[in-house]
Amino acid sequence: MEPIICLDPSPTECTSPPSSAPIWQDVLAHAMTGELLAAMNYASLSEICSDPAEVADALEHAQNERGHAAAFAAEGRKIGVDVSNNVEAKHWKRLRGTFLQCIAERDFIGCLIVQEIMLESFALASYSRVAKVAPGSLGETFARIAAEEEEHLAHAVAILKTERARDAQHFDDKVYRLHLDVMTTLAQMLAKDCKDGHCEVCHASCVKPSLFEVSLSAVQLRGASLQQYLKTLDMLGIPGQVTLTWVTQLPV
Amino acid sequence: MIDLDFALIGHQDSWRAVADVLAVLRGPQRTPLPDDEIRDIFPWIPPRALCYVDVDSVVGAKARGVYIDSFIPPDRLDAACVRENLARVRAAAANAIHAGAKIVSLGGFSSILIEGDFDQLPEREGTVFTTGNTLTVAYIVQSIRKMCALEDRDIRSSTLLIVGATGDVGSGCARCLAPLVRRVLLFARNVERLRRLAAELEADGAQVEVATDLQQFSSEADVVICAASLASPALLLGRIASHAIVCDAGYPKNLSPRGEMPGAKVFFGGLGQITGGMRFAPDLHGILNRHPFPDVVHGCLLEGVALALEGRFEPFSKGRGAITPERVKEMETIAARHGIYLAPLYNADGPLEAAGCSWR
Repeated sequence: MEPIICLDPSPTECTSPPSSAPIWQDVLAHAMTGELLAAMNYASLSEICSDPAEVADALEHAQNERGHAAAFAAEGRKIGVDVSNNVEAKHWKRLRGTFLQCIAERDFIGCLIVQEIMLESFALASYSRVAKVAPGSLGETFARIAAEEEEHLAHAVAILKTERARDAQHFDDKVYRLHLDVMTTLAQMLAKDCKDGHCEVCHASCVKPSLFEVSLSAVQLRGASLQQYLKTLDMLGIPGQVTLTWVTQLPV
Repeated sequence: MIDLDFALIGHQDSWRAVADVLAVLRGPQRTPLPDDEIRDIFPWIPPRALCYVDVDSVVGAKARGVYIDSFIPPDRLDAACVRENLARVRAAAANAIHAGAKIVSLGGFSSILIEGDFDQLPEREGTVFTTGNTLTVAYIVQSIRKMCALEDRDIRSSTLLIVGATGDVGSGCARCLAPLVRRVLLFARNVERLRRLAAELEADGAQVEVATDLQQFSSEADVVICAASLASPALLLGRIASHAIVCDAGYPKNLSPRGEMPGAKVFFGGLGQITGGMRFAPDLHGILNRHPFPDVVHGCLLEGVALALEGRFEPFSKGRGAITPERVKEMETIAARHGIYLAPLYNADGPLEAAGCSWR
């Protein structure tokens, strides 16, 4: 079902002072890492595509994601910080591992579910939140990339809806299996506190407790991400009571 | 898409209820979500179905429906959140339409927000909406008569005060009860609507007084219907008899028999009971309907269920101020035919009568 509302239960809309650069540095590091991982995933996807058009499409996506990563690095330079990335960081590595498992099984649909439905929902929601509060070109860049990710998502939803129409139960089972891997990891990343140690992306201590200084919070980012994920699953046609159960069973 | 007979749109009215619902969905093998996590996550959940509801009639009819939660957070029921909550109700309605429900009842705050104006809801084909207010009025009226009988009061000598008198439920109660009581006191915020309703009742021979301030009434009431929630129960003090019968039919229900009104007979109104059987899948029995008696449901939701069992998929209750005694009689007759009756009376302290004493 096409969601008809955008629920936004938390107040936002304020800008942050320049002293917030170290916070943006970490926000950008997470975004850049996610984009580089996406670029790697699309590059891997191109290797299992048999249709030349699909190969070209995957490679173009990979290029786009690299462009996003470069844009985030450039925004860091504008505020005087180096934006690092770490696709080997524990959570990201696990996410990459799940994707590579789909590649090993030559499971094109599984790849789309992981990258487009789960990871892009997370990116779209997070970037949209950041875009509302980030100052100047930083906010504009997040907004622009969020809009592009939304287009990717819509494209993938169209493909996956067709796939689901063939065998809804089989499709939903596959989404659930991948949900258990990917969304469990994302839920750990999005938890209010990093209970299992340093995420290996933040440049010093965990950025989450400082997010309020730039009018963000880990709670908002998690809420918005889960909301976008549920809406995306709604768009695919998976029953809402089923997906709600999936989400309520995630770790906190 | 599964073809459904009905959909019920509701929301949880306390964080305790929210926690219980999420605990069922999370499953017994997982630790319950901490309260702070629930409050963090819940407001972000888009409206969606929580469970299927199967209802049996005492005459053999069956109806399958779905309960859709609008996920309005219990602490956001105030006026400041009207826009957000309307969006949630519209999204819940879209869910009901998408699910293929033939009739949709708007429960609790959903009905209050929409005010019977179904043009505020999404486009629909093959789905009708009902506010459910007619059956709510039926059960409030029945419960007043029952309580008067239980307390050995002569309703004909009573002075009836209706709080929220110009609303759909309040005005429906006024039309049904004005001919039965000695005097009617109508209280609401809109003086023009009050005057129109008073003129209508007076034309039928009722003795009516209206006020936008409870202190303006010249006499005290001994039967009270709160069809709208009072900002504070203390507002009733001094305007009602110490032994008054008070039906708390507002939403949320916030009148307690303890405290300011120790002598009053306070009870929750507008509730009915399904006697033919009701099942939830997943099993949210006693969690979605948290009452001291089994299978008790708000009248507004039961109206859609009764109409579905009857096979009458029509917007029985719509608009504002259109509920008449004839329509109330028709609705309660439909409900009763399928074994849906006034629920046993109770209040925040517990039952006021034993189970199985339904007023039939």
